[in-house]
Amino acid sequence: MFLSRRLTGKYASLWVSLLAILMTLAAASILLLTMGKNPLVAFRSFLQGCGMIPKENYGGGSGMLTDLLDFLNYLAPLILASLAFITAFKAGLFNIGIAGQMLLAGFTATVLIGYNKGLSAVVAKPLVLLIGLAVGGMTGALIGWLKYRFNIHEVVSTIMLNYIISYLTGFFINNNYVDMMTRNSKVCSPDSRLTLTNVMIGDLKCKIPLGLIIAILIALLVSFLFRKTVLGFEIKAVGQNRKCSEYTGIRVNRTILLSMGFSGAIAGLAGVAYYLGYTNTIIPKTLPGMGYDSISVALLGSGAPIGSIFAAIVVSIFQQGANYMSSTVGVAKEIASLITGILLLFASCGNYMKYKAARKIQLAADLRGTEGKEAKAS
Amino acid sequence: MGDYIVEMRHITKRFPGIIANDDVSLEIRKGEVYALLGENGAGKSTLMSILFGTYEPDAGEILVRGQKVHFHSSTDAAACGIGMVHQHFKLVEPFTIAENIVLGVEPEEKKLGILPWVNMKKANRQISELSREYGLEVNPTDRIGEVPVSVRQRVEILKMLYRGAEIMIFDEPTAVLTPQEIEFLLQIIDNLRRDGKTIILITHKIAEIKRIADRCAILRQGKLIDVRDVADASAQELADLMVGRQVSFTQEKTAPKYGEPVLEVQHLTVKNEHKFDVVKDVSFTVRSGEIFAIAGVSGNGQGEIADAIAGLAKIADGRVILNGKEINDFSVRERCLGGISYIPEDRQETGTIPDMTLQENLSLREYFREPFSRKGILKPDPFRDYAEKLIGKYDIRCAQGPDTVLRSMSGGNQQKAIVGREIEEGSRLIIFVQPTRGLDIGAIENIHRQILEERERGAAILLISLELDEIMNLADTIGVLYRGEILKIDSADRMTTQEVGRYMMGVKEA
Amino acid sequence: MNKVFTDGLSFALPLLIIAVGALYSEKSGVTNLAAEGFQGVGAFFGALAATLLAPVMGNGNQAIIYIAILCAAIGGALFSLIHGLLCIRFRANQVISGVVINILAVALTAFFTSAANTAISGSASNKFVLDVSTRFTVPLLSSIPWIGGIFTDMYPFEIIIAVLVVFLWYLLNRTRFGMRLRACGENPQAVDAAGANVNRIRWIAVMISGALCGIGGICFAYSMIGNFSPSIYQGFGYLAIAAMIFGNWKIGPTTLACLIFGLAKSGGLQLCIAAKLPSNYMDLFLMLPYILTLLLLVFFSKKNHPPKAVGEPFDKSKR
Repeated sequence: MFLSRRLTGKYASLWVSLLAILMTLAAASILLLTMGKNPLVAFRSFLQGCGMIPKENYGGGSGMLTDLLDFLNYLAPLILASLAFITAFKAGLFNIGIAGQMLLAGFTATVLIGYNKGLSAVVAKPLVLLIGLAVGGMTGALIGWLKYRFNIHEVVSTIMLNYIISYLTGFFINNNYVDMMTRNSKVCSPDSRLTLTNVMIGDLKCKIPLGLIIAILIALLVSFLFRKTVLGFEIKAVGQNRKCSEYTGIRVNRTILLSMGFSGAIAGLAGVAYYLGYTNTIIPKTLPGMGYDSISVALLGSGAPIGSIFAAIVVSIFQQGANYMSSTVGVAKEIASLITGILLLFASCGNYMKYKAARKIQLAADLRGTEGKEAKAS
Repeated sequence: MGDYIVEMRHITKRFPGIIANDDVSLEIRKGEVYALLGENGAGKSTLMSILFGTYEPDAGEILVRGQKVHFHSSTDAAACGIGMVHQHFKLVEPFTIAENIVLGVEPEEKKLGILPWVNMKKANRQISELSREYGLEVNPTDRIGEVPVSVRQRVEILKMLYRGAEIMIFDEPTAVLTPQEIEFLLQIIDNLRRDGKTIILITHKIAEIKRIADRCAILRQGKLIDVRDVADASAQELADLMVGRQVSFTQEKTAPKYGEPVLEVQHLTVKNEHKFDVVKDVSFTVRSGEIFAIAGVSGNGQGEIADAIAGLAKIADGRVILNGKEINDFSVRERCLGGISYIPEDRQETGTIPDMTLQENLSLREYFREPFSRKGILKPDPFRDYAEKLIGKYDIRCAQGPDTVLRSMSGGNQQKAIVGREIEEGSRLIIFVQPTRGLDIGAIENIHRQILEERERGAAILLISLELDEIMNLADTIGVLYRGEILKIDSADRMTTQEVGRYMMGVKEA
Repeated sequence: MNKVFTDGLSFALPLLIIAVGALYSEKSGVTNLAAEGFQGVGAFFGALAATLLAPVMGNGNQAIIYIAILCAAIGGALFSLIHGLLCIRFRANQVISGVVINILAVALTAFFTSAANTAISGSASNKFVLDVSTRFTVPLLSSIPWIGGIFTDMYPFEIIIAVLVVFLWYLLNRTRFGMRLRACGENPQAVDAAGANVNRIRWIAVMISGALCGIGGICFAYSMIGNFSPSIYQGFGYLAIAAMIFGNWKIGPTTLACLIFGLAKSGGLQLCIAAKLPSNYMDLFLMLPYILTLLLLVFFSKKNHPPKAVGEPFDKSKR
């Protein structure tokens, strides 16, 4: 009953997320126990891997701070990617193509700016951001256009584009930009990177993730857009009831286009924050898994911009901490993806949990014979 | 006692937040036409759905032919000879008439002894015979999506007969028919009664009850009020019992004071997605202070005319002129700002955003301009103030005030919100499509009053309705629509209900 | 030229069975974007069975393939229960459910492949290597110029799929079960009023869908990739869905669409080889099916009608 009240109250979404996280931890614990591992040790090592709890010992030049900064470096593009998903989701659109948009934006920025040795950091970094926005934005707008002009379901069109982008960029990398040793693309110039490397703090070699600042800024912007602006209101209206939006006079096609355009643009930012920030090279023909994790994050954060920051932290802990956990506890690091997948599963049951809670409260009210209650319209 | 074919004893059924049937008991005799009278929401459909096996009661029992029965599904009910023609037809559009009728009792045979196979040829034959026997002619191989409403109803009736129903429940069967089709249907019911069938008629139309029913049970707010012999009760008595107070059937209408033409529709043609003319060369004018009603059977193009004027449907040919200006190329918003209010047919689907709050829904016509927003930024206070103003003025019941989520409000209150929002704009042209569908008498009276008030104020009103009574009551001028064409326009006091009905069937002037 | 038909068919047929799987689910009213996940998990179970059986039944024993296909079907059906649970019981947004299933499938199969390999052979490989399937050639028919390619070097599963699809068509369009299933996707209220159990029919449809997609997955694993690994997820599930959309949710036209995809893919590849382009350029030709899909979607999406009630959970009290 306690739970039912929380799930129907003002912070229902928050409680749904908490419940999903708890259930996931429980499921993960069971899994770990069946593999003969101590779940608490495993969870602790996840946190250690992220620099939230100190490890036993550190190698030269690294410490808890470097781990934490690495964690934040991964967090930044993830937040951006999930914001991209949310922006489209508010309009009722599923941008499954975030991975492809990230890749295309990252590739373009790498080729245009990352390989351009002549540009200084002050010029290069803003240009990288601009390219991210432009490339991502155009890709997103294309998908939006295909949707309203030809009624092509965006899930299918975005997946198709994902593969097209993957093969196309893979081809160009292998043909023109490949590093013979790593088989990946040549690394981009440090000046163009959104992460400042080799910054010495004390005797620790740290990476400063500039992308995080961008991520938080965008989160605030997106939140403002949907809470306070006319455009945000119209996007939400289109997402909730397209017929009524049309009736109200909203230009639905323009709204879809803008929403997907913004979504793609933010995905582009995620892409440059990932390929010219978190890492500095591109693996050919591989789409960033983060593009799909962003969906988990968005759903866990109940589609709220600020909530997704916290959801992203949870998912990042699993993804970033997996390597360390794998080496200390001896479980395959794929478990991180599995846990994220289970988390996504529970998060998507959120609506059902709220519905059951509302029913429970209604039944209790009926039994008490509450008169004068408005009949629930079906 | 006696030979009751159906007895329902102390039936109670609850849904979340509402008691649909409250300790209702009835007895129905074999071979009679038994009417269930009540307003929308009185519990008639629920009660019969229980008899038909769709729902199970929370308390009470059912006896059929003296035996206690327990229905878990409509198949159980069908096995007892109970069938139902629903208010909203349960038909599968791409299937043929025959496929729809046999769904659930398909004649399956085994080819070569093992391969199961539905013998549609046999079904087609059986249905042809059945339809001839009962005077309900249909072509078994037609697709449901292509036949008119009255034929669809015949299919629903044939469904019951195919399953050998002896007890037949009709749920609001005349809502979608023209007066002539209603007459035809009542004749069929008469024939069925003479054939020994028991008929249960759910309706809120007292005239029909007087015409054909033997007895009538009156339900109000889930409870059984009374059961009367129809021959002994007057229409007024029945109406008062149904509503619980004195009811007047007609509104007070003042003498017309027409002004300038507000809406002129000239040779309007609208095509549907298959390039078919759903509206063909329609022309009419509505003046300030005039109620122009378009009568017609559902699906003849009414909705498309309203949509074309409001900007939601494309105009293939012709002109729409508002206040002297041609608005063919105006966007939806430009038309709203130009003075059109529109209360759509599908209130919830088209007129509201159910998951948004009441204040957001009430401001759907205003949010984009001052004082609700400035330079694209929303200002929260005007939303709240406006909502509170309308809540008070239009008596909108909402549990949490302006912050109530629209979905949680009752249908009637959602309708009040939509009507209030549109009327508050003070537009020169107000379009009402099916404004009172599914509402109880109190709400209907309210809306009619508001329509007449707006007429007083000088608005031009376009009323599109399937309820002929409503049209005859309110309209100054009537246009009758048949297959997309207006067959007749005349002043209301010069037309009789029968005449309008004839035009609705397509009978053109001799 | 013959090779175009041979390879085209061996790609088109597994694609087709996945498309028919998705079709069954959608025709019953449950949106199925989870085909990608279903085929992957089905392939996992099939490959796992093959790997476990190989030492027991002897490497190269062709019977293993048939058992693998069976296990793939069962595995796919079991995994599809999750989609059914989310969509039918929990009434979640069905598009989201599909996406969730796909993400979960990738994670689950990666993890358990690794775990299984560790348990079996001690090395945490993420692949199950499969034996090569024998291919056979129909004597007379394969000598026909051009089309003869269809009957050359056929995989046995191609016959299985072809027969299965004919049977599935019959099941959907000529039997009582199929009729009710199709009705559930158009107007479930009508089916309910007729006395059948809508949700039960949908559950069965989803499970059939899982089984069929699973079969497609293991067939891909045998023919295209040669093993089970994360590369089973190449978007073929989505290609199949696109084929279903072009086919307007009818099995006949869907078959045609799959054949077009198959021929485009193999045709492009042969072109690349014939032009003697360096291997890099193969990637460009691998893009062909996806680009073709987009183009065809542009031309065909507008006129297509999905089943009327697809995507909406069945609500008994709705009138």
